[in-house]
Amino acid sequence: MIPELFITAILVLLGGALLSFALSSRDERTVRTVALGSAIIASVFLAALSLFTLLTGQNFVFTVYQPFPYLAISFFIDRLAAFFLLLIAIIGGCVAVYTVEYFEHLGGGARRNHLCAFGNLFILAMVLVVSSATTISFLLFWELMAASSFFLVMYEYTREETRKAGVFYFIMTQLSTLFVMLGIFALYVQTGSFAIAPLTAAGSPLITAAFLALFVGFAIKAGIIPFHKWLPYAHPASPSPISALLSGVMLKIAVYGLIRFLLDVFQPDIWWGVLILAAGTTSAVLGIIYALKEHDVKAMLAYSSIENVGIVFVGIGLSIILSAANLPLLATISLLGALFHALNHALFKALLFLTSGSVVHATHTRDIEHMGGLAHRMPWTSGLFFVGAVSISALPPFNGFASELMIFSAFFSSVAVVDPLLKVLLFISLALFALTSALSMACFVKAFGSIFLALPRSSESEKAHEVSEMMLIGPGILAAACILLGLFSYKIFFLVGYPAVIPDMLLIGILLLVMAALTYAFLYFFASREVRVSETWGCGIHSQQPATEYTGHGFSEPIDIIFSAIYRTRTKNERTFFDRANCIFAEGTGEIRLMKVFEEYLYLPLARFAVWAAESISRFQNGCLDTYLLYVFVAVVAVIIFLGWYA
Amino acid sequence: MSLDFVVYMMVNTLLVIAAAPFFVSFIKKVKAWTQGRRGPSVFQTYANLAKLLKKEVIYSPHSSRIMRVTPYVNIAAALVASLFVPLAFVPEPVGGIGNIILFLYLLALGKFFMALSGLDAGSSFGGMGSSREMSISAVIEPTTIIVFAALAFVFKTLNIFTIFSVTAGSSTPVTPTLILLGISLFIILIVETSRIPVDNPETHLELTMIHEGMILEQSGRNLALMELSSGIKLTLLIALLINLVLPFGLGTTLTVAGIAIAAVLFLLKGVLLGGIIGLFESSMSKMRFFRLPSLFAMAFFFSTLTIIIEVFT
Repeated sequence: MIPELFITAILVLLGGALLSFALSSRDERTVRTVALGSAIIASVFLAALSLFTLLTGQNFVFTVYQPFPYLAISFFIDRLAAFFLLLIAIIGGCVAVYTVEYFEHLGGGARRNHLCAFGNLFILAMVLVVSSATTISFLLFWELMAASSFFLVMYEYTREETRKAGVFYFIMTQLSTLFVMLGIFALYVQTGSFAIAPLTAAGSPLITAAFLALFVGFAIKAGIIPFHKWLPYAHPASPSPISALLSGVMLKIAVYGLIRFLLDVFQPDIWWGVLILAAGTTSAVLGIIYALKEHDVKAMLAYSSIENVGIVFVGIGLSIILSAANLPLLATISLLGALFHALNHALFKALLFLTSGSVVHATHTRDIEHMGGLAHRMPWTSGLFFVGAVSISALPPFNGFASELMIFSAFFSSVAVVDPLLKVLLFISLALFALTSALSMACFVKAFGSIFLALPRSSESEKAHEVSEMMLIGPGILAAACILLGLFSYKIFFLVGYPAVIPDMLLIGILLLVMAALTYAFLYFFASREVRVSETWGCGIHSQQPATEYTGHGFSEPIDIIFSAIYRTRTKNERTFFDRANCIFAEGTGEIRLMKVFEEYLYLPLARFAVWAAESISRFQNGCLDTYLLYVFVAVVAVIIFLGWYA
Repeated sequence: MSLDFVVYMMVNTLLVIAAAPFFVSFIKKVKAWTQGRRGPSVFQTYANLAKLLKKEVIYSPHSSRIMRVTPYVNIAAALVASLFVPLAFVPEPVGGIGNIILFLYLLALGKFFMALSGLDAGSSFGGMGSSREMSISAVIEPTTIIVFAALAFVFKTLNIFTIFSVTAGSSTPVTPTLILLGISLFIILIVETSRIPVDNPETHLELTMIHEGMILEQSGRNLALMELSSGIKLTLLIALLINLVLPFGLGTTLTVAGIAIAAVLFLLKGVLLGGIIGLFESSMSKMRFFRLPSLFAMAFFFSTLTIIIEVFT
């Protein structure tokens, strides 16, 4: 039953993609609606089968295609795979619902059909990666995912920034595939098979190398600092639903890969956990600090994704450390927290990307300084964005809090770890984790405040209007999921067989409602009920003007100053004078520039090295026949000598 | 949920609401005394709240629903948080009530809404207040979490109820570690309740105000709710500190006489701590905003030191 449902879902997705490719010359809404509709139907199937697998805990293995004895395309769905299938299904379905109308507002004519087709292929590739039973099919579909997402990012290829983003994205995503391939190859050398099965030998350098290669490959795809730079370029460049898929789902596929290999293949050492924890903490803190500085709403959300994936990595790393320290219960809580946060982040980040897509559509700008006052003009969108903002700021009783609470409690109880040095490391990581969560609250107060509250700061923002229904229904489902997953987190974990890993959030929600209702009732009977809408005091000005508002820049200025050492701003002040004593000023320039630390010190040197190496090698290929004959001669002589030596 | 717990919820909530305005006024009174003034009566805040309830609410035409729901969310978060800190007697914990992390994040929930309401009307005062409040709360957060993690570490539990029943039942409750943690908690109290040297609760001057800036747009009954919730926050942090360091009289069984005695004792101990807060505030001036991070860094290293001592002994 489950395999058939799975195959049907895959065929429906593939059918939608092929139809859209076949009819790519016809710029008709029907074609796109059918393609997106097939994505929605496939999502429903996938959600059903993954929910069934999650609740019953059954495993399914089935082979579909076997061209060579060693190379079987077979699928394996267990609880872990089903969990990520559910994630893909929910986000994919909601994004498709949103996109039905969003694409009609997008320029590009019949190329939008390609967008639908590649979108379907992208979702399909992610589904297949998650359900791969062998490392070789994992790698194959991993590459399909990378390639199809590249075309999605490059949609608006005529724009300069998109092309830059595309190049960045392509190189990073191929590097990721390269490292994953190296890791899988090392595993093959070690075991002689492509099966995802536990390693019998442990501790050999080859296994460590395999882990490191896989870790780098997954970290690049997940946007872990310092491999994160593609995210803030690719997200603003691609259409909003695509950003939602990239950030909400694709990053989680990397998380899936890491967890799958750690749980089912390796026997992790404690230092692997420390490495993952350190990488996660760094990403979390730096990600949110950079997000605060960002005024392009989509780049801000991209940096915030880096932060949240960092939190997921913190949970994974912590879980490895705890299980190595023989605390299996805490390790489980931490890993469940990481998984739950992956799902939650997918939900609220897709919600935020979709609603910010609506905002960008309504205001024609991505700069939050030119927005404002949209709460009155787009009441539904603002409400949905608000749910996302509260969830991502980890406030009770929403879902973002539930998962962070689990990681926090694992941290708080992790002091039972024996090694004192490890304890200190855990405390430092905990402190930084706390800083992250407080800064993300600041970041989303700023985002919501600048985008939706106060007065509009541009004429476009003034003229903005609410978006159509489908663009509210998609995010609406996600918002409902955010609230329900938070409130019923206790029940959900109880249902899947992990009781008492989290306090009952429903109780807190009910208590909050009761207290608010009691207060309201008290005020209704014992206080004045008069309300007046009138200009409030604004330091003696006649009426409030947009120019006097606190801007987003202004809002984050104190944090900029406090963390100026991390931002690495570079102040330039060049002046020329008419006289020697430097008294009579002629002209000059002054600027405060944010240094792109990682780009300037890591990416560009590496890129220059690659170019230099390529140039050195290309000197051998000079197009002259004589030289090539010489190469052949030298090679033959070398082979003869080599054979003579060993024979 | 047992009957005991229902009684506890009602008694504790009423006690917190009743005590909160008193502590607010009492600290003001102490500050007035140190300045050689007589100051307003210790019941002045009750009168202020009653007066505000009778006034109309004025909303700016630019403000949205955020402004209208913030007072209710704030008071609800503060009241639910008040269930987490037993004032007079400690029942068996129910569900997640008493969870330290949940307690901290309930307070953060109120703060989030308050900061948004500061931005809502578009006034630059409100924005300034929100911006500063969010910056300060971000920088103090690592310290807060480390202190509470240390508490969890020392008592081997995440639940405030369990911590309190340990301190209440112990014969020698005050250990050096607890005193060190108490000092860290005191700094957190000063920061979280917007007191000198971080913020000045008395002024409405743009250079100094943080918390007052955010609620400048609030009026009438909404303002009363905001004032009451910040009073409740103060009371809760006072109670947390008192029941950790001076727990005597804190009951673990439900009797009318026990609760009455414990409540009176709590008020007396609260008066003592309130006096200390008042004197502390009077003895220093407000710090420049950008010098605050170094104060927080001090608090952070202090609490980390506590933990390291605890870890290595």
